[in-house]
Amino acid sequence: MIEQKGINGWRPSRALHRYAVFVAFLTGVLLLAGALVTGNEAGDSVPDWPLSFGRWLIHSDNFVANVRYEYSHRFIAGMVGIATFILAVWVWRADRRRWVKRLAVIAFAGVFAQAIVGGVRVLLASYMPVSTVKAIVAVPHALIAQSFFAVIVSIAVFTSRSWFAPKESKTDASGLSLRKLVVFSVAAVLIQLVLGAGFRHLAFGIIPHAVGALAVTVLIAWTAMTVLKRNHDDAYLARPAVIALALLVIQLLLGVLAYIFRMASAGEPVKNIAGFFNSMTLAAIEKYNEVQPVEPTISLTAAHLVVGALTLATLIVLALRAYRVIQPARAVQTLEQKTLGSSPQRATV
Amino acid sequence: MLKRLIALMMVAVLLAVLTAACGKKKALKDEGDDESDTPKTPYVVKGNEGTITGTVSFEGEAPKPDPLDPSSDAFCNANMPDKFIDNVKIKDGKLADVFVYVTGGGLEQYRFEPPAEANLDQKGCRYVPRVLGLVVGQKLSITNSDKTGHNIHPQPKNNPSWNQVQGPGAPPIEKTFGKAEELIPVKCDQHPWMKAWISVLNHPFFARSEENGTYTISGVPPGTYTLVFRHEKFGTQRVQVTVPPSGTVTKDVVFKAGGGASPAATAAPLVLPYVQ
Repeated sequence: MIEQKGINGWRPSRALHRYAVFVAFLTGVLLLAGALVTGNEAGDSVPDWPLSFGRWLIHSDNFVANVRYEYSHRFIAGMVGIATFILAVWVWRADRRRWVKRLAVIAFAGVFAQAIVGGVRVLLASYMPVSTVKAIVAVPHALIAQSFFAVIVSIAVFTSRSWFAPKESKTDASGLSLRKLVVFSVAAVLIQLVLGAGFRHLAFGIIPHAVGALAVTVLIAWTAMTVLKRNHDDAYLARPAVIALALLVIQLLLGVLAYIFRMASAGEPVKNIAGFFNSMTLAAIEKYNEVQPVEPTISLTAAHLVVGALTLATLIVLALRAYRVIQPARAVQTLEQKTLGSSPQRATV
Repeated sequence: MLKRLIALMMVAVLLAVLTAACGKKKALKDEGDDESDTPKTPYVVKGNEGTITGTVSFEGEAPKPDPLDPSSDAFCNANMPDKFIDNVKIKDGKLADVFVYVTGGGLEQYRFEPPAEANLDQKGCRYVPRVLGLVVGQKLSITNSDKTGHNIHPQPKNNPSWNQVQGPGAPPIEKTFGKAEELIPVKCDQHPWMKAWISVLNHPFFARSEENGTYTISGVPPGTYTLVFRHEKFGTQRVQVTVPPSGTVTKDVVFKAGGGASPAATAAPLVLPYVQ
């Protein structure tokens, strides 16, 4: 039996956990706002930064067309920045675990860095070709956003009641362990999010993202099936695995639909399966930029990004829980050799 | 665990930068870009210059215009009767907004004084004109005739980039381009359907085909040149032209729906710079 006792039986308050969940939700809204900026090609509609048209709060006359997306993104980003600062201070004062405090500081540093990168993205567009700026700044901007989301989700997990509830210790299977598998899945999804950002920002074509989708599909399906096969009776692990599978199906559907509508609006409609694969050239994608971005491509792409983030969050939860309850086979063997006949293992985090 | 996650994220950031750097487009070299360090002789008008004129036609079924949606801005929505992107203007078989210019013929040895300023207006939530030619160093005056704000965002490869807001009633923005560069995309990021193309040449021998397809390039020194016709949608055509002393030469070209060219011309698809 593993019991996460905290320090001297201490546990974080429910309010802190609920607030961390709120910050995670707000970050999800920010990701959606960012996706709408990219989808509407609104990133350069407000050329100055950190002010917008020389003001913190813009005049209502300016809040039209693409400015709505860019300014909303900045406004929500400001709220997330403040919310993260409060979270970091709260965790620093209330949480007794040093490593959770460090994680909260990393989260605040992340949102600060993200704001700087976003500002650099805006300012550089006045001095460099946008294609270059997008490739070298916008893609990392998208990656830091997803990584920050992952950190906030982790804090929400670490402050949850379930993290401290007693759990039955499980021994991982030998060979490719579940712990490794789930970490591979998290890494693959992060890389896939980078490839998706690269495609949206035209750093490269759809092929890397499509290949990544194949790899991620295999890995998530493999991970989830392994979890369900070995731990189908443990909702603590089985539930995020089922959710990850469901999100994967939704994500694939959204991705294919977004791509089909994108090609149609670029004047290159996909008529059959062969045409779908033949269309995967950068030249065809570039035509999309000759026309105004339209619905439903914008909404489908934004939803695709948000579901991608939710998939990452679910896998983070699964990974943390797997590390929480599953002991590596080799470690258990070593422990058994050392403490044969001793009391059940208890771990304190 | 935490260390592993942080390491993963760092690897992913590195991957993002590397992949982005690998995928970055190479700058397109303009065919009219004859920049060199050789000092150029100022061109002196000799009085025997000629004129090139003609008509640009279009054969075949005109492509369906791409729709646009200006509903996000009440002013644009009310002042855009045609809700279509204006990248194809065909009327009675004549094609407008083809950028026509001469190249070769020894022009590169001369330096031409830039003419008076050119104007790019924002009117009815469109750039007017959509296709504009400038001489290196010529002043460009950008005005906003609309009762809504715009941002003007040229994306050159060889010239400095800039992005500037111009509200309703704001004074003109004046800019110059210091290097020759063809088809610089100009975009309003606030209204993503608004696009224009600016070509900056080392000489003033260029024109834009009007709504009736006609163009006229005057004051051309006598000689033999390549006459280039570039349209953002239908590609490029080239014809040889000899300008007689104090004479006029007529060159008509036809763009075809399938991408073909006039009998005397060679055609190629137009590789446009990125518009983002």
